[in-house]
Amino acid sequence: MIESPKQTIPPENIPDQDVICDIQNVCTEFDDNIVHHNLNLTVKRGDILALVGRSGCGKTTLLRHIIGLTKPQSGKVLLFGENLHAMERVAQRRLMNRFGVLFQQGALFSALSVFENVAFPLRELKQFDESVIYQLVMHKLTLVELEPRYADLLPAEISGGMVKRVGLARALALEPELLVLDEPTAGLDPDRSHNFIDLVKQLKKSLGLTVLFVTHDMDTLASLAERVAVLEDKHIIADCSLQELARIDHPFVINFFQSIRSRLERL
Amino acid sequence: MVAAGFRVSKDDQGRRHIQLFGQWSLRAPSNDFAKLKKSLEPFFLDTSITWNLNEVEQLDAAGASVLLSGWGNRLNANISFTPEQATLFNTLIGLTRPPSKKIQQDWLAPLIGLGKGVLHLAHHFTEFIHLLILLLIEIAYLIRRPQDFPWREFSANVYKSGVNALPVTALLGFMIGVVMGYLMSKQLHTFGADIYIVNILGLSIIRELGPVLMAVLVAGRSGSAMTAQIGVMRVTDEIDALTTMGISRILRVVLPKVLGLTFVAPLLVLWTSSWTLIGGAFASNLELGISFRFFFDYLPLVVQPVNFTLSLIKGLMFGFVVALVACHFGLRIKPNTESLSNSTTSSVVTAISGVILVNAWFAILTRGIGV
Repeated sequence: MIESPKQTIPPENIPDQDVICDIQNVCTEFDDNIVHHNLNLTVKRGDILALVGRSGCGKTTLLRHIIGLTKPQSGKVLLFGENLHAMERVAQRRLMNRFGVLFQQGALFSALSVFENVAFPLRELKQFDESVIYQLVMHKLTLVELEPRYADLLPAEISGGMVKRVGLARALALEPELLVLDEPTAGLDPDRSHNFIDLVKQLKKSLGLTVLFVTHDMDTLASLAERVAVLEDKHIIADCSLQELARIDHPFVINFFQSIRSRLERL
Repeated sequence: MVAAGFRVSKDDQGRRHIQLFGQWSLRAPSNDFAKLKKSLEPFFLDTSITWNLNEVEQLDAAGASVLLSGWGNRLNANISFTPEQATLFNTLIGLTRPPSKKIQQDWLAPLIGLGKGVLHLAHHFTEFIHLLILLLIEIAYLIRRPQDFPWREFSANVYKSGVNALPVTALLGFMIGVVMGYLMSKQLHTFGADIYIVNILGLSIIRELGPVLMAVLVAGRSGSAMTAQIGVMRVTDEIDALTTMGISRILRVVLPKVLGLTFVAPLLVLWTSSWTLIGGAFASNLELGISFRFFFDYLPLVVQPVNFTLSLIKGLMFGFVVALVACHFGLRIKPNTESLSNSTTSSVVTAISGVILVNAWFAILTRGIGV
């Protein structure tokens, strides 16, 4: 067979400015348990995408693939058009500064105060002096509506809701383009979780963020998500707006939509 | 995306204008604000210069804060910006660092430090005694209700801190025995007192070295593990979960560890001492030609059997001290990583010091016995 000498670059190799994250044919298995099989998902700039599914269906695993903590057995995860695992170290670090992650338990450094936790990523850049760092940290704490008097406390001394907000402030410290939230409202009372959702929405608007989150909480989903991706049977069975879920004929989605419909009507 | 930059122009009256452009934001990956600030340094000092920020595509808090710190944290008429930027600047100006409190020289500070240290030590001591008493109460309870004895935890601890420690104690004991046997053989040989190697090695290893070596190894191995385990159980609220089930944390967590180690420590002493003696016999065989048979036949004749009893008693005490100290520090851990590491360190250091202290005390008490 003779190959044509002029090879055109396939269109998917050109990094698209508007695609933040592109997951292509990802397969994951733990021992004998297949978690993802040929999974595809795209996150576009400006999306607020919720990843939903049953407990243990591999949502958090997928999230961990996206932020580069784990590597799928096969397939590609492209963040901002690049593969985190196939990069040189400095470039990889720069790329990792373009997204911020809020872990389920906050994952604050327990030995550092609230202030130092938020200051940590800023100090690591080694570009700012103390007065600038102070201003930036306080600015982030104001953004998440945390009073300055909490700045010197240790994570063990503040409440769960505050831990989440500090975690969010830390995730926002480097002005990320993508914000990844793992169960953002788990462990918060309804009032707090409502405020937290409002906060994320407002930040999304003012900072131009793209938000990707995993949740089990229907209220969070109904009020925050603009798009929803349903992970079931090892791949994404639906990727659409909440209202469009009604048109999808799959037992899990039908069940799921029933529980969300009433909440959508209330909004 | 255009990286942050600036250009300087001069108008016909000789005044300089500085025009900022591009992305003054952390989002532009090629920005280095340290460099930018350095190259802007001369312009910050010049008060007559006018700044124009209207061409900046995106200004975030980081960029704004760097500029503000250059302008001495205030805006003036020479700076022109968009209304959006103005709000950002004004928010940031409101967030200046409060003046740090002046540190006054306090001449009494060393004295206060000393006093605090003493109080801290006293606090540790009372808590330790408190734990000891609680443990005794639980033992008294168990005497009345023997069916509540935590056998599973007890045997798990015996296995973890005893059986699993066999290889390492044997190896280290043997090697120390070889080294000691070798050095002493050299010395004794110069006096022609070859035969006394059995006396020296036998007495020192059985009476002193074996128990202390075992205690040091166990403190490093099991003591630290116990402290860290109890500490993490505290951090993850497991201890509280136990309490709410009506199960005493002392009975279920502390007691099996303390009794387990106290039970297994004399056996470990026996094991460690045996291997150290074998190492010593091996070295004397090589150096002095004393046969194994002779070494171990002659040993009971020159070392009184009471020394062996003493070493087992020492084993009991050391095991108890190491485990109790480990539990004491474990229960004091606060839920952060720093406290966990500090407590584990203190646990091992205190356990080893405690063992050596108890050893000295015991040596004085038993000075007339068996030598």
